Amino acid sequence: MSELELRVAGEANLPATGWTLAWSDRSRGIARISDGRRSVQVLVEGAGSAWVVTLRGRRIPVAVRTWREQVMADAETTAGGGGGPIEVRATLPGMVLAVAVADGDEVAERDPLVTIEAMKMQNEVRAPRSGRVSSVSVQPGTPVAAGALIMRIE
Amino acid sequence: MATSRSDPAASLRKDGQSHSPNEPPFRRLLIANRGEIAVRVIRACRELGIESVAVYSDVDVDALHVRMADRAERIGPAAPAESYLSIPALVDAARRSQADAVHPGYGFLSESAGFAEAVRDAGIVFVGPTAQTLATLGDKLAARQAASTAGVPIVPGLRVSLGDASLADLAEVGFPALLKAAAGGGGRGMRRVDSREQIADALARASREALSSFGDGTIYLERLLSPARHVEVQLLGDRFGGLAVLGERECSVQRRHQKLVEESPSPAVTPQLRESLAESARRIAGAVAFESAATVEFLIDADANHYFLEMNTRLQVEHGVTEAVTGLDLVAWQIRIAAGERLPPEVLAVQPRGHAFEARIYAEDPHDGFRPAPGSVATWEMPGGPGVRVDVGVSEGGLLPTEYDPLLAKLVVHAADRRTALARLGRALDETLIGGLQTDLSFLRWLVDEPGFAAGSYDTDLIAERWGDGPALSAEEAAIAAFVASEARRGMTREAAARTTGAPASDGDNRAWGARARREAVGRRRSR
Repeated sequence: MSELELRVAGEANLPATGWTLAWSDRSRGIARISDGRRSVQVLVEGAGSAWVVTLRGRRIPVAVRTWREQVMADAETTAGGGGGPIEVRATLPGMVLAVAVADGDEVAERDPLVTIEAMKMQNEVRAPRSGRVSSVSVQPGTPVAAGALIMRIE
Repeated sequence: MATSRSDPAASLRKDGQSHSPNEPPFRRLLIANRGEIAVRVIRACRELGIESVAVYSDVDVDALHVRMADRAERIGPAAPAESYLSIPALVDAARRSQADAVHPGYGFLSESAGFAEAVRDAGIVFVGPTAQTLATLGDKLAARQAASTAGVPIVPGLRVSLGDASLADLAEVGFPALLKAAAGGGGRGMRRVDSREQIADALARASREALSSFGDGTIYLERLLSPARHVEVQLLGDRFGGLAVLGERECSVQRRHQKLVEESPSPAVTPQLRESLAESARRIAGAVAFESAATVEFLIDADANHYFLEMNTRLQVEHGVTEAVTGLDLVAWQIRIAAGERLPPEVLAVQPRGHAFEARIYAEDPHDGFRPAPGSVATWEMPGGPGVRVDVGVSEGGLLPTEYDPLLAKLVVHAADRRTALARLGRALDETLIGGLQTDLSFLRWLVDEPGFAAGSYDTDLIAERWGDGPALSAEEAAIAAFVASEARRGMTREAAARTTGAPASDGDNRAWGARARREAVGRRRSR
């Protein structure tokens, strides 16, 4: 499964090698990882491609996408504009720093929509496809939970 | 109100005598507070054989303290002014529940003379000092005066008010200075000012904050001693003049003038300084004739001079540190003193043993100026083992309301010496896992390994100078996070595959692990 694309706090990253993971309580995302000498307890929360790993008390957002998801996402954006309204959601919990668009704006695929700050890192939410923006529900300073609806693109 | 009149313990109290040792000091005690301190008092009540009554605002209906108490009374909407700060609502709840005592906890109305008076007027015992003592010490300005009269050194300062023209006096205090609420505590209403020009604006803000937090906008200005160490002495006094001086707590790890980590004994306090602090504390206590638990706070400068800051006539958040080194239950003693008991010789002469730390776990982002980060607690794993005590105010699935203090839990560790206690704190923090919201755990874990802190060498500038917003995410941490997230994703994919082949799988691939709130269907509204 080397096709997983990993982005830690918005930056492309390769997974650490030489570590093993053993689940302590899989249903709650609690595991112990070891490098062969020392081990540390970690918590991992999330679903699909959006995850948050808590390491020694620090919450680290990680995006994990399979090769297939990348292809499908590409196919969807290629077909762009054809579908009905889609919802744009926060990929991370954090604070909205900036909103680059307003209701009625036309956006192209990959245009920046909203900047969310999490873990002192700024993460851009981009347009999944082209269309017209509606129902913008955040403004700078709004705290958002992961998965919160930010706006729609019609 | 008729209840306590017919209570035999109450009639004995009128004679200044102790209740019988075989019966509980009170029958039913109402806790005028919430969160972990309410839970703490409920536990003490249970051990003493007292029925506990919790109070709750609308957002706290399913809170841990409400679920733990024997009964609960609604006191109003979420806004503190209409619930936990409402004297009529609380006194009414105490009457309705026929409580014969009220414990105020810390914060909220714990130092309100008006509340103590209203409780006593209702024929109910207030667990704390008399209204008069509260009035003197609750007014930090009057307390400064009392300390000065008792021959205890105080930080230079003076009273200021909005539109005060006598700003020339400010030169005497000197800059930088600190604006403080006369009725204040807990760091609220405090503002640093570095020049005369900043006074008016800072004064208006501090006054507004003080008014909303304490119902009194009176402000005073005090020289800011910085860097300094913040050390406080714990006292326990009965109404017969018995006074136990229970050693000091070092409280210099602060952000926004609020404590995050405390320890006892202080690594900065020599035996001579310890005796001077105890003597100053005794003098102040003698000057105000207090009973119950109180803390005298001092600043200690680089030359080991100590200055009186304030005396808090209530339980402190960090009282567990003193409980660890003395073996005393301060909350139980507060209640027993309120019932008219005398402090026995073994309490008056208690000698602290070993070393204790407290780490406060707040829903705050230490990588963003300790900004409060309220939310729901999705995952909640607390440490255990020898020498580890955990006081919690929430449980898994619980909501942390934005209206109140974001304190989630307090870890207190105790060991024979500082080095062992610090290792124990690190171990306990490693066992602690909280999901769903950002906490200060990463700061706390960093602090344990910080060389200056490990050596006991730090002051009130520690966070600003050595932490800032914390170290940047290292390449190794990022790689480990990537590894863990990819493993989680792979595990999920395998389970989805198992499910499609008919194998039983408990986890669906669309389910959010960990983040899913396991909210218990409590729905109990236990008002009587």
